[in-house]
Amino acid sequence: MRDSLSYGIGILFSLTVHGLVLWALVIGWQPMTQQVVIQPQYIEAKLVQLAPKKKVVKNLKKPSSNAAQKKREKQKRLENEKRKEQARKERRRKAEDDRKEQERLTAEKKRLEEAERQRQLIETEFADAIAAEQSLINAQEDEIAANSYRQLIQRRLSENWNRPPSARREMETTIRLQLVPTGRIVGVTVLKSSGDAAFDRSVEQAAFKAGQFIELQSMSPVLFEKKFRQVDVAFSPQDLRL
Amino acid sequence: MNEENLSILALIMNASVLVQAVMVILLVASVMSWVMIVQRGLFLSNAQTSFRLFEDTFWSGIDLADYYHELTERAKEVGVTDGIDNVFRAGFREFSRLSQSDKADPDAVMEGTDRAMRVALSREDEKLSINLPFLASVASVSPYIGLFGTVWGIMNSFRGLAMVQQATLATVAPGISEALIATAMGLFAAIPAVIAYNRYAAKVEALNSSYETFSDEFSSILHRQVHSR
Repeated sequence: MRDSLSYGIGILFSLTVHGLVLWALVIGWQPMTQQVVIQPQYIEAKLVQLAPKKKVVKNLKKPSSNAAQKKREKQKRLENEKRKEQARKERRRKAEDDRKEQERLTAEKKRLEEAERQRQLIETEFADAIAAEQSLINAQEDEIAANSYRQLIQRRLSENWNRPPSARREMETTIRLQLVPTGRIVGVTVLKSSGDAAFDRSVEQAAFKAGQFIELQSMSPVLFEKKFRQVDVAFSPQDLRL
Repeated sequence: MNEENLSILALIMNASVLVQAVMVILLVASVMSWVMIVQRGLFLSNAQTSFRLFEDTFWSGIDLADYYHELTERAKEVGVTDGIDNVFRAGFREFSRLSQSDKADPDAVMEGTDRAMRVALSREDEKLSINLPFLASVASVSPYIGLFGTVWGIMNSFRGLAMVQQATLATVAPGISEALIATAMGLFAAIPAVIAYNRYAAKVEALNSSYETFSDEFSSILHRQVHSR
């Protein structure tokens, strides 16, 4: 009797302990993996670039509104003139000469032409300014993108670089990579040798091992042609002591 | 593949059948060993307190025949008795039976009494150390079982790694994680069992030696009584 009682207590206790442990494990073990978010750094750079763009465009819009106003004023003036002319015509219909009429018409024509030319001038000026601004912004954006691609190439090459034991800190080898738009390296030439043959060879090997930068395929063709058809890379073991 | 759920339940559910079997064995072993731990703990502490009570009463100068009757009455009431009571009652019963016959040889009386007490002692020893071998085997074997599950799980996950073209840490990590759960469970089962086994073995040893000491003392009292007649 006492035995069965103690066994009962034991079973109860044991099940409670295991239940608690399981519950704690199931509840308390939340994986932390969802919180890791890696943001590409160039997004920040792009956001910073947006502010000056807006400002510049506003500055440029002001002259355009001035021009429109001027235009409107001119038109108003012209209408006034016309009305006056008509009134004059009616007043001195009989006294008016054909010659005078002709003169006035040519003068008016001239003035209109002048106004039109000015308007066009302002418009082209404005368009030129906007185009210049846009190309500046594009160039900046291109530069940022190019930098990120350059960093990628640098990282990939340094990952694949096995330095020979003869490498010293002051050595530097510059190579020129010939790339195609798929990101593949089609040619490697040594531009500036370090003087150590093994070191130069290790640099070439690094380029061959890297093989292809697939990420370059997402680059705009214009940017590629402009900056990445040929890439010069300098290799120098800065972290060595010797 | 990246959306894998790494909660412990998912890990256990995704484990291979053998690893799951190992986990079930270990869980059962752990539950049973805890049952034993609690039961033995209660039993042994009961035995200790009852031994202390018995000794206090015994050496208080009470009349042995009266005490024998009292204990027998209590045994009849409860049904089963444990511990030192049984040794005392067995010895006293045998002694009174043998000494009641007229031509009893004192040596024969003592021999019979000792034998009866020895039998009762070995019964009590058995009762005390019941279930302790189970705790000992859980303590020594469950780490090995858990290790087996882990080795098997890691083996499988590395075999899977050999077939993958692009090997990353993420392809092996879940397998290793789920395999290590087996080791953790083995240790979880083993550690309390080891502690409890050592503690209870020492307690049983101490109780046994106190029982033996008492039976020797009792036997010497009876011996004095037989030979003084």
